[in-house]
Amino acid sequence: MAELLFIAVALLLGLSALAGALGVSLLGGKFLEGAARQPELVPLLRSQFFIVVGLVDAVPMIGVGMALYMLFAG
Amino acid sequence: MNTAGLGLGQSKQNQQLSRSQLQVHLLQLALTSAISLLLMLKDFTSAYSAFIGGLLYIIPAAWFSLRVLAKGQLRSPKQILANVYTSEVGKVLLAIALFSLTFAWVSPLNGFALFTTYILLQLSGWYLQLKMNNRFQKL
Repeated sequence: MAELLFIAVALLLGLSALAGALGVSLLGGKFLEGAARQPELVPLLRSQFFIVVGLVDAVPMIGVGMALYMLFAG
Repeated sequence: MNTAGLGLGQSKQNQQLSRSQLQVHLLQLALTSAISLLLMLKDFTSAYSAFIGGLLYIIPAAWFSLRVLAKGQLRSPKQILANVYTSEVGKVLLAIALFSLTFAWVSPLNGFALFTTYILLQLSGWYLQLKMNNRFQKL
């Protein structure tokens, strides 16, 4: 049973990391694209980028929390 | 890419963003306190679990905001991107460390109250950001 728990925790952590990494890297790519196209908009793009990065990592963070809870409670 | 001299509006943007982030975090702290006080009527374990759940969200988020906004003078997109990426990694590591410390040291703990508050604060973060940055509504 403990093995299954470890596999579940590993899957939760791994998929959370993957989702977060994909989201943030896509955002970063779009930020660079926008900055290259319109450099005068960098301050505005920076604010939007900062805000949306905070929103993107919400669900992966919940996954990380759940995984650690399972690990320590189990 | 030459972006020198293009940061005229950057400090103003940075100030506005800092102000709105501070408001968001203060509102979230108030929400956490209100939930804890309400749960105090039920039992003390749920109340402090909910408060810890709130802090588990607010501390890494505030650290991320502070780190990104403290370097508001960065001009080139490459530097900005590197700063946000390293801050994000730090935020995740801080959250993992805080979760681990909580689950290892705090006992008894009401997991349901902790995660409900945590998820509620994530949702409140989305809602408050959309409300406070009405620029998103034009997208």
